[in-house]
Amino acid sequence: MIQLRHIERSHPLAKGNFFYVLRDINLDVAEGDFISIMGPSGAGKSSLLHILGMHDHGWTGEYTLGDAPVHNLKAKERAALRNEQIGFVFQNYHLLDDLTVYENLDIPLSYRRVGKSERAALVADTLDRFHIVGKKDLYPRQLSGGQQQLVGVARAIISRPKLILADEPTGNLHSEQGEEIMELFKKLNSEGTTIIQVTHSEKNAGYGNRVVQLRDGFVV
Amino acid sequence: MLNEIKVALRGLVKTPGFTAVAILTVALAIGANSAVFSLIDAVIVRPLPYHDPSRLVLLWEQFSAQGLDRIPVSAPEYLDFEKEFKSVDQIAVFDYTAFNLANGGTPERISGAVVSPALFSLLGAEPMSGRTFAREDQGVGHDDMIVISERLWNRRFNSDPFLLGKTLILNGRSYTVIGVMPKAFEFPIPLFNVQGGQFAERVDIWKPIAFPPEELKARYNRSYGVIGRLRPGTSVASAQAELKTIVANWMRLYPDNYSTAAGFGARVYPLHEQVVGGVRTGLIILLGAVGFVLLIACANLATMLLARASARERELAIRVALGAGPWRVLRQLLTESVILAVVGGAAGLLLSVWGLELLKRIGARTIPRLAEVNLDFSVVAVTTAVSLGTGILFGLIPALVSAKPELTEALKEGGRGSTAGTRRNRIRNSLVVAEIALALVLLVGAGLLMKSFVRLQNVDPGFNSSKVVTMELSLPLVKYPSPGASYLGGESTISFFTEAHRRIAELPGVQANACTSILPLSGTNSDSSFSIEGRAMKAGSPGPDEEIRTITPDYFRVLQTPLQRGRFFNDADTATSEEVVIINEALARKCWPGQDALGQRITFSDPRKPGVKWITIVGIVGNIRHRGLDLEPQPEYYIPHTQSPARSMILAVRSGQDPRELVSAIRREIQSMDPEQPVANIRTFDTVVADSVAPRRLSVLLLGLFAAVALLLAAVGTYGVISYLVVQRTHEIGVRMALGAQRSDVLRLVVGHALKLVGIGIATGVVLAIFSARALSALLYRVGAFDPVTFILVTGLLGAIALLASYIPALRATRADPMIALSRNT
Repeated sequence: MIQLRHIERSHPLAKGNFFYVLRDINLDVAEGDFISIMGPSGAGKSSLLHILGMHDHGWTGEYTLGDAPVHNLKAKERAALRNEQIGFVFQNYHLLDDLTVYENLDIPLSYRRVGKSERAALVADTLDRFHIVGKKDLYPRQLSGGQQQLVGVARAIISRPKLILADEPTGNLHSEQGEEIMELFKKLNSEGTTIIQVTHSEKNAGYGNRVVQLRDGFVV
Repeated sequence: MLNEIKVALRGLVKTPGFTAVAILTVALAIGANSAVFSLIDAVIVRPLPYHDPSRLVLLWEQFSAQGLDRIPVSAPEYLDFEKEFKSVDQIAVFDYTAFNLANGGTPERISGAVVSPALFSLLGAEPMSGRTFAREDQGVGHDDMIVISERLWNRRFNSDPFLLGKTLILNGRSYTVIGVMPKAFEFPIPLFNVQGGQFAERVDIWKPIAFPPEELKARYNRSYGVIGRLRPGTSVASAQAELKTIVANWMRLYPDNYSTAAGFGARVYPLHEQVVGGVRTGLIILLGAVGFVLLIACANLATMLLARASARERELAIRVALGAGPWRVLRQLLTESVILAVVGGAAGLLLSVWGLELLKRIGARTIPRLAEVNLDFSVVAVTTAVSLGTGILFGLIPALVSAKPELTEALKEGGRGSTAGTRRNRIRNSLVVAEIALALVLLVGAGLLMKSFVRLQNVDPGFNSSKVVTMELSLPLVKYPSPGASYLGGESTISFFTEAHRRIAELPGVQANACTSILPLSGTNSDSSFSIEGRAMKAGSPGPDEEIRTITPDYFRVLQTPLQRGRFFNDADTATSEEVVIINEALARKCWPGQDALGQRITFSDPRKPGVKWITIVGIVGNIRHRGLDLEPQPEYYIPHTQSPARSMILAVRSGQDPRELVSAIRREIQSMDPEQPVANIRTFDTVVADSVAPRRLSVLLLGLFAAVALLLAAVGTYGVISYLVVQRTHEIGVRMALGAQRSDVLRLVVGHALKLVGIGIATGVVLAIFSARALSALLYRVGAFDPVTFILVTGLLGAIALLASYIPALRATRADPMIALSRNT
């Protein structure tokens, strides 16, 4: 599903030097994989995730998603591909404060120009599936951290992406809530969704089928 | 405190962009306000520069049945007032005149006045050297002396210290200079709003009055202004009541002169009211406009300070965490805003000095007492108070909101919006709504005035003013004597103007030339009553009293006013030929409705008496807007100069090219006929027309300027708020982009927010404008106060500019890098 070849990411330093965040990353991800990217702080985990999520365009190398050569795509084409294939889960949930739970779920669909009635059906399904129907009119600040992340995951999968990228999804949750979320990922994975998560937790990594270790920008 | 000022200054220097925009915002508003305060202070508030001016009144007469108001007084009537009007303890008469000064050098026409000797003591005016007139310096044979102005003394006589006692030749007669009035003395004050005269020129020579004998018999010949000083404790109303009795007595004594149906009367008007009454509405509207500009600027300043306080939330939280109390934080924030307001106020004062100079230049023929306008202590005091008030009041809003930061949220890296943030947003949004609403009111006002002005410019005045130059010629009685009344000329006057016409017609480039006693739109007027043949004069019913002009034959060819029927005057119309008259369509319609006016006859004498001289209507011409482009054409009639020679005429010359090129040749021709004859007040006819709408132009210009400033400030305010909104929502926008939002979605989000604010602002502004536009009604011409086109256009303009102002930050928002936006919180 994903092939990364010789991916490098660097930031310029003084006197024409560069600081490399990622170096010569080669990685293959098959459909249905549940990969955990691990490593110490500053190893380049989040940077790799942002490249995979096509938020970052300042890298070199080759990145193929499905049949699409991302490295050859223009920004607009990358955005379209991302909208079609990828869902995000963030450590800080990043729910939109002024929108209700319902509206937070609706927004990725509206950005994908999904029709109104279809959106309503999809949101209703998702609320039901995640057992948060009763919370649909609440605002994020009225939810616990676990509930917020539950909405975050629901929002990530609502547009039925093939790939979920999760950046420390349980980092801000206590263990019980964290387990709930990881169980949810496992379930989604078992239903066919490919998942790549960045985590510090061995336990969370245990939910996946493969671990990629990064250190100083290299896969080790 | 010193420390706070130091910190505040350091902070302001560190953000030069913010500081410059804030100071400019305050400066524009304070500058506009102090300029208008100065204007209103000098023109309306400050007493007139005479002794105890509140007791000074002007006395005018009226014929209300004919719509004639504030008309001058005749010599016998004045003498009666002098004897009978006891409500005043001093009374004086004055009239405008012009003197041809020919003491060596180029002959020059100087504006002057003939006045009662009592005038100077009545006004409490003292000469800077010499003396003014004594009681005995009055009457024919005793009036060979003049008082001149310091201006003329400086300009024409190089401040000659020995000028007093010397003789000047004016209008061919010798006059001794007995005194010099200081520069500050002005009377009559220009721009008296009197029927038939605008009196725009400053007087430089005063001469004692000497009523010619024939005038002393003519109660109908009204040309004098009368000023009086009310006795202490006498009100205008009681003076008015006394006048009523005097007039009733005249009507009994002179029934032939005062028909009951004419609505004759006399009224007193406070001098101050007379001088500034005409401009009061306009100035108050201007005051309202600059008040709005100030409010908009204040809202802008508050908005900017709120944004700045938000950006400093963490800094303020750290200060509080380190032990600063709310008062300390408040003081720090207030110090900044007060510094901005004071510096802005000082810059504003400088701007207003410059603005007033500009205003003095462009408003010279429009606003009375403009020479007295200056930035005095009271204006500086008001400006300082307004600046400080602005700084404190509008600095207080953001300071109060920010003085108690919520530490836990503010100190947390990436903490979400606090309650203070929400409150700030609400206030900021409200301020932008207010700015847009106020700007809309100003724009609607300016739009309505502008549309009126355009409509006025497109009015057909009934003549073509392009490529015509005009100048005034006044032939002195001594050199050009007349057998009749002194204002009428004789054979020599007719010969002069006939010869001048012949010579000018031969100049290369001249297409036509003619003279008229009264030029359209020049601010002067003249009317006279007449009787119509075949219509019996009813007792107590006045005959027609219509506007009259004396012209030479080619007048309508110069003006290109169409002849409807009959003929123009020609050389065969002489002093001895049949007396003829040309009337305009309005007079034909008014006096001969449904009949043919051509060939009808009128007379100026009493048709019931024997030996009536009938005057035959030989032509009917198109209507001319004489009193103003905004006033409907009045009935007019024209008599040939040869049959009623006036000694003061306006020469109008039509040329094929720029008519100004003809001026020196014309002057040469006139002076070759009479080397002492000056040519005065040379203006193109286009300038005359433009001057006639100068007050409107000034209103449009000033209100337009203030509206533009308001628009600019509202745009800056909207830009500031939306920019800040974008910064504040960077994280949210990043999340949205990570969730798939495209540029258009982000644009819609940001511009949508602006649109909501602009929409509310416009809706509020439209309601306010509907109420305030009514105040403008008096200044509008053929445009309703609620003109939908203006409202729609202005709303569209404001909306477009506000949206543009929000589009720029919105565009910036679309370039937000989701990675950076999101990493702010990780």
